[in-house]
Amino acid sequence: MIKSEEKITTTQAIVIVTNFILATGILTLPRTSVEKVKTPDVWITVILGGLIMIIAAIIMVKLSQQYPGKTFYQYSQEILGIWIGRFLSILIICYFITVSGFQVRSMAEVTNFFLLESTPLWAITMPFMWIGLYLVFGGINTIARMFEIIFPITLFFFILVLFMSFKLFEIDNLRPVLGDGITPVLKGIPATILAYTGPEIMLLLVAFMQQPSKAVKVVIIGTVIPMIFYVFLVVMVIGALSIEGVVVRTWPSIDLIRSFEMSGLIFERYESILLVIWIMQIFASFVISYYAASLGLAQLFRIKFNKIGFILLPIIYIIAMSSNNINELFKLGNMIGNSMWFLFLGLPLFLLLFTKLRGAKS
Amino acid sequence: MWKTIASFLPDWLIIIQSLIIFLIPYFIWRFFIYIRERANIATIKQESENSQENTCNFTGNLNSDLKFIKKEIGHNSDVHFREFNIGNTGIHAVIIFIEGLSDKDLIDKYIMKSLMIDFSNENISAFMTEEGFNNIIKQQVLSISDVTNTQNLNDLVMKVLQGSTALYIDGSADVFILGTTKGKTRSIEEPISEALVRGPRVGFTEKLSENTAILRQQGNIKSLSFIKFQVGKRGNKDLVVAYIKDLANPDLIHEIEKRIKKIDIDYLPESGYVEQLIEDNYLSIFPQLQSTERPDRVISALMEGRVAILLDGTPFALIAPVTFSMLLQSPEDYYERWIPSTLIRLLRFLAAFIALLVPALYISFISFQPGLIPTKLAISIVGSREGVPFTVLLEALIMEVSIEILREAGLRLPKPIGPAMGIVGGLIIGEAAVNAGIVSPIMVIVVALTAISSFAIPEYNAGISLRVLRFMAMFCAAIFGLYGVILFCLFLCSHLVKLKSFGIPYASPAVPFNLNDWKDFIIRVPLMMMKRRPKMMKTKNSIRQK
Repeated sequence: MIKSEEKITTTQAIVIVTNFILATGILTLPRTSVEKVKTPDVWITVILGGLIMIIAAIIMVKLSQQYPGKTFYQYSQEILGIWIGRFLSILIICYFITVSGFQVRSMAEVTNFFLLESTPLWAITMPFMWIGLYLVFGGINTIARMFEIIFPITLFFFILVLFMSFKLFEIDNLRPVLGDGITPVLKGIPATILAYTGPEIMLLLVAFMQQPSKAVKVVIIGTVIPMIFYVFLVVMVIGALSIEGVVVRTWPSIDLIRSFEMSGLIFERYESILLVIWIMQIFASFVISYYAASLGLAQLFRIKFNKIGFILLPIIYIIAMSSNNINELFKLGNMIGNSMWFLFLGLPLFLLLFTKLRGAKS
Repeated sequence: MWKTIASFLPDWLIIIQSLIIFLIPYFIWRFFIYIRERANIATIKQESENSQENTCNFTGNLNSDLKFIKKEIGHNSDVHFREFNIGNTGIHAVIIFIEGLSDKDLIDKYIMKSLMIDFSNENISAFMTEEGFNNIIKQQVLSISDVTNTQNLNDLVMKVLQGSTALYIDGSADVFILGTTKGKTRSIEEPISEALVRGPRVGFTEKLSENTAILRQQGNIKSLSFIKFQVGKRGNKDLVVAYIKDLANPDLIHEIEKRIKKIDIDYLPESGYVEQLIEDNYLSIFPQLQSTERPDRVISALMEGRVAILLDGTPFALIAPVTFSMLLQSPEDYYERWIPSTLIRLLRFLAAFIALLVPALYISFISFQPGLIPTKLAISIVGSREGVPFTVLLEALIMEVSIEILREAGLRLPKPIGPAMGIVGGLIIGEAAVNAGIVSPIMVIVVALTAISSFAIPEYNAGISLRVLRFMAMFCAAIFGLYGVILFCLFLCSHLVKLKSFGIPYASPAVPFNLNDWKDFIIRVPLMMMKRRPKMMKTKNSIRQK
């Protein structure tokens, strides 16, 4: 048998990072960021948020590169001893479980709201999660191949649909640039971080890469692609709906697509198409965080990977269903965004410095 | 304090749901593991049973050995025993052959005549030893090319039943097996299942030796290698694995050999048996080996570093490993110029999409998301459905199932009746069903379009799997609408990326992404740009042209 590499290529790593980032943020980023910034300069905030994330990601990559072939779950025990390492790993596993629960729930909410109005949430969620489980069983290589299918399709359709909304665009909605100075721009940065959850997968992914030395390139490209896309999205949404219009809408991106019709084509309205494509994107995010959590538990407790997959299924489901309404869901999202500061900026930086210092000592 | 904790605990309904979400896939998983284990146990049992084999050697005494042989195959009316004396030496001998399977002309002229008449006295001096006698017979008397020896009864019986002639000379336990096979074959014809407008009009036949000869004729390829295997425990058959020695990846050949050796079955009537016994995942709906009647197709696959498996008794050769894109390609894509071939390929991908998803999309648009399609179209569809008593799913099922029945019926009809049935089935029933108000006219259009599209897929078995999947897609669409269709696509893609054919990802070259291999995927670039063999095959020598 021709042995297929158990490792993933650089392109695949980029696609994984990008796919992980582009998820719920597509629908909520314009509103959450505008709520905080309140000026048309949101696009600068989005760029700054992306840059911060790139820096955090580079730190995580540098940390992982110190321990070639090992995931965070393995090397954290080496750095800080078994118990602290395990504790940190469990924190990160919890993070990934929460993220996947969050993705599932927001998918279910949006689907319930726009596509299947009277269908109960559990009916929407269950088949989705089962397919995710089926894919997760295939391992990182299969997931990477799947993402390579999803990525071009979704990006193509998103950009196509955004371009179609161009006739609603009014440049006046984006003026003035920096009218209130830089302060509101900086205030909005924490709100954008949730939209950038994704590069933290590098804590595990570097171990699976064929060329771990290119990991920095991976995170930069993998984060810049969604960053450009987000800027484009925010500019289009604000340009069409204006600041006041964005704040009052729950899903401004969908409302943008809803507000125009194209006659003479096979389809007249595009929000359902956008949603369907978005579901694929959410599926990608869900699967990779699900995989990250199961891999962590499997490596920590030396349980078979398949069994962990099954055990996590009800846990993720309960977390997904723990929010009673959409506002609680958004709160959960904010919590995820806030925890990122500690888990994926502070902690890796600390560990990296610790490793370097210890290396210098010995 | 308990209240605050309790407010964070999930509802009992959610706990039950979370149990369901765990149990259903878990039982499905256990079920598949159970099936797989059962299959493994069965093969292990068979292996232990078939270990003993009777070895019965000849003694050299003609009379007693002949009794043995007659006991084994003498009861058959088509087995002939001809006893005679060699020349005028008085040595007793017998030839055994099968009527119709052996070339009687050859036996009369070059075996019997040589042994009985041409055998002159001058050689008698050399008869001193047994070995010398046999050598003389082999080297001076028998004027045919294919002569082997055996001392084993089973071997003899096997060879004779294949059309060889056995020559037993009294006093020697070494029996000659003379290659006189002349089986019934048909002439070489154009393959019916894979007709081309442009391309060689040669197809394989049912005879293995002829098929390998056809492959040799495809050009003087020095390193074209054939390895022969014997398959089938009761009905023994030859199987040849063909590959190009300095191209094919040795790991691949090794794996294929290993899987063929594992085949442990009574009899293999057709290469479809081999296909099902050596494929990677028998639970998958996709064909994991490609079957073809065209030698040119086999040779070009070999030139890409693939391996072909030919079985005696069938014109269908198998090509492994196979990827999904291969099932949408035709040899003509390479024989015609690149621009038309590229467009035709795009057309086939579109046809595959239509055959798979259009009925499902129709169902989901009509019954879930009518707002998506242009208002006028939606109104006209709803208007045409007025008076149709069924749901969209049932309506679609009625039409799809009747089309499938029509196709299945047409497949086996004699040629003159075929078109008549097409008219009755397609035109009259379709027209009448609309008039009777059972289905809407637009449904007929959708069904006809999908049926035609599924014919546009060059590989018959790929077409079948798409037909089956179409029904799954329709059910998903009927339950969840557009969301169901996307779930179906996600599931299908997950399966496709998981599937492998002999270690090659089934979805390649689409994924893992490889720019070099994309030159021959959706588009077919000009030949002078295709300088390398497919990278996914990991060939020993990747340069096709400089």
